[in-house]
Amino acid sequence: MNKLNHLKEIHKSGKAYIIYKSKKGFNLYTDFSKKIILSNKNIKSFLLKKNKKKSKNTDLFIGFFGYELLNNLIDIKVPKQKNSNFPKGIFYKPEKKIKLSNNFTYDLRNFQSGNFKININKKNYTKIFNKFKKKIKSGETYQIKICTKYKTHSKINPLDFFSRLSKTNLAPEAFMIKDDNYSIISCSPENLITKEGTDISTKPIAGTVKKTKYLNRTKALNYFRKNLKETKEHNMIVDMERNDLSRICKVGSVKLSKQKIVEEYKDLFHYVSLIKGKLKKNINNFEIIKAMMPGGSVIGCPKINTLNLLNNQEKENRNIYTGSFGYIKFNGDMRFNIIIRSILNFKNTSEISVASGVVVDSNANHEFNENFIKAKALIDLFK
Amino acid sequence: MIYVIDHNDSFTHNVVHQFALFDNVECDNYDKINENKIRQASTIILSPGPGNPKNYPATSKIYKKFKRKKKIIGICLGFQHILFCEGAKIIEQKKIYHGFQSKVKVVSNKSLFKKGQIFKVGRYHSLKLKEPFKSNNFEITMRCLNSKIAMAFENNKEKIYGFQFHPESFLTINGNILIKKILSA
Repeated sequence: MNKLNHLKEIHKSGKAYIIYKSKKGFNLYTDFSKKIILSNKNIKSFLLKKNKKKSKNTDLFIGFFGYELLNNLIDIKVPKQKNSNFPKGIFYKPEKKIKLSNNFTYDLRNFQSGNFKININKKNYTKIFNKFKKKIKSGETYQIKICTKYKTHSKINPLDFFSRLSKTNLAPEAFMIKDDNYSIISCSPENLITKEGTDISTKPIAGTVKKTKYLNRTKALNYFRKNLKETKEHNMIVDMERNDLSRICKVGSVKLSKQKIVEEYKDLFHYVSLIKGKLKKNINNFEIIKAMMPGGSVIGCPKINTLNLLNNQEKENRNIYTGSFGYIKFNGDMRFNIIIRSILNFKNTSEISVASGVVVDSNANHEFNENFIKAKALIDLFK
Repeated sequence: MIYVIDHNDSFTHNVVHQFALFDNVECDNYDKINENKIRQASTIILSPGPGNPKNYPATSKIYKKFKRKKKIIGICLGFQHILFCEGAKIIEQKKIYHGFQSKVKVVSNKSLFKKGQIFKVGRYHSLKLKEPFKSNNFEITMRCLNSKIAMAFENNKEKIYGFQFHPESFLTINGNILIKKILSA
């Protein structure tokens, strides 16, 4: 049986499975022998648990941490919000791994959905925006990202959506989870943690521009360099990620290995930096997750004050948005992304969250529209 | 040993790593200050952070208690904090500098650095020192080349120093040299 048929077979069988982008294609994980629902109580023991030495390529836990769980992990409370009771985090132990190529097609298009509704209208968005701008002027935050959420009733086939999404946007941190009562489809572009042995790196993105006939790599770089807002946001994130790595890395080992370069993807250019470090002795994965998550580039800066400002403002739980998806191998190696550009399907509802940054010289109208453009790429899958 | 007081900032550990190139560093958040550790330290660093110096009375208390007993260095909020404790007003500015690289110039001949020397530095500040400001032994030693905003002070008599910019930022060229000179003063 070829691999594509294999995937279709697994999908049809109704088994839970996960697909995660690899360098050359995708990896599919299935035949889960364990499913761990995370809470504030068990997350520490989950991360500190010593597993038997890695011997098979399925000796890992794969899954996600939601936003609220990551806040609680660094002692930040999220006030009572409108909540769909989606789990705070779930990890799976797979017994089977299958490699897939980049080109897999599963075009079924048998979905039902209504029209997406936004949870904050332009008027309210502008109010929040101006309030945060004042907070920037008084120095309480240097940059803050307002999140808006689009929702609709729906019944979709996640594999159909993921295969169509991968055709238009082959993102380096894309993933899909299909389980009995929920699914996630994501074209996340951003790696938050890559840990191999004592080497750790993070690769923040600040700045994205769509490819056109006229916009090549060099022109994209010029565009980003001339754009003062993108440059300042990017600088701030580089220093913040250097800081987060410095919490857990040896003195003098944190290096900016790629500084503000352009990476080319199928339809987009991203403005990225790569920051690397060597872990201190005896640092465990619990400490690493606490130092790095939630990923700063999608929150704002400085992290703690900014998270508190956001949490006191937001009326609705973020669920997976700005959490992290990835895996922890039994030997301690990890790979985690930041969950953005994603669709969560739960209780016959699809939700898409997006955010964009308030810095002192940004404009409410522009950022509101920017949010919509980000969401539209995913909303268009429902057409 | 160098003792860093953190103000819940997302740049403090860059400061810690920079100072750790020269000496052992201990770091605690401002709500968990350990005075026993401070007594063993040669130098106290007041970290950058969000908000206004007046939001952090615990830090003011430490400054007043250990002034003249320890070398004290303030960075960004820390710079403002020391000046605030010396009677200065810290105010909002029209143009805000977050993630901004600027040129600063040494403007005083009482500085450890050569008058006229120019440094490229990274800035993250909403607030600034209201001038004119005068206090015994405190000298504004660096200013932004364009806006003339106060960017560093030195009090070489009482060994108190402050930078409004961030010597630890990747945007600051030769930040380690600045720190080395202040530490050996």
